[in-house]
Amino acid sequence: MPKWFQPTTLLCAALFAISPFVIANAPYESTMGLVQKVFYYHMPSAWVFLTASVICGSASARFLATGNPRHDRTALAAAEMAVLFGLLTLVTGPLWARKAWGTWWIWDARITSSLVGWMIAWAYLILRQYGGPGSEKLAAGLALFGTANVPFIYVSVNYWRTIHPATTVVPKLPFSMGFPLLFCLAAFYLLMFLLMKLRTRVAEQQARLDAIYLSLDEQA
Amino acid sequence: MRTLIRAIAVVFVLTMPLPPLAAQTQPRQQEEFTPIDQLPPQEQLPAAPLLVGAYAFVLLMLFGYLVMVSRRLSAIQAEVNRLDADLKRAGKG
Repeated sequence: MPKWFQPTTLLCAALFAISPFVIANAPYESTMGLVQKVFYYHMPSAWVFLTASVICGSASARFLATGNPRHDRTALAAAEMAVLFGLLTLVTGPLWARKAWGTWWIWDARITSSLVGWMIAWAYLILRQYGGPGSEKLAAGLALFGTANVPFIYVSVNYWRTIHPATTVVPKLPFSMGFPLLFCLAAFYLLMFLLMKLRTRVAEQQARLDAIYLSLDEQA
Repeated sequence: MRTLIRAIAVVFVLTMPLPPLAAQTQPRQQEEFTPIDQLPPQEQLPAAPLLVGAYAFVLLMLFGYLVMVSRRLSAIQAEVNRLDADLKRAGKG
């Protein structure tokens, strides 16, 4: 791993260790009270989920255009990030909603489209795992649909009837709530970057291992 | 006469006050429904377990994934190093 990886990992760990104190100091929201503080991990998870879906789709498009396996490895790592952070979003959301809305789940446009986006990321990984030779290109095509779903997830709360907070909430946050959110966003994005680097390294080493086995077969 | 005594006994039993225990357990009869905006505190769903559950789930999943990927990387790197060494030895021999 590169030299900067270890200090950056320590920085990320420090951000996560400090985050509960920063969140605890944030004020309570007037109507939802204590449970609204789920927001500081829920929204960064959701943003990382959407970002990973976009990275997966754009890397897949570049892989389809150039055939460079480096882009394919990036897409694979991003798809795993989308599955992981999508799961965090889809679990923390209902825990917040149970108290704030009185229900675990509603089939509104944002939650449903997020679930669809998460299932597309899962489908990508399942196809890569069990699709056999040539599944990289099929999976890359699927990833484009995952990316196309992202703008829909983002704007859905503004166009369809829902009790999900609108996109205007974040720009209107006071500093006392905006700072903890930015702090957690920095921690989550840094973690996504590090995990992607780690996962890409696994894929690179796997490709190297496959090449070694191939050369051994040719020698034998 | 016996019938009269029985009738007085029945009236006495029916009109005697209920024991205090029964009076305590039986809820008061409601004569009207009064709407309120918020549930009383003892009726509300506590937020803390949901909040702690959300944070614990996030941190556990992230840590679990980190451990999983690190172990995968270590295993693959060990295999690559072993094969590299085998190939070098075979080349020398």
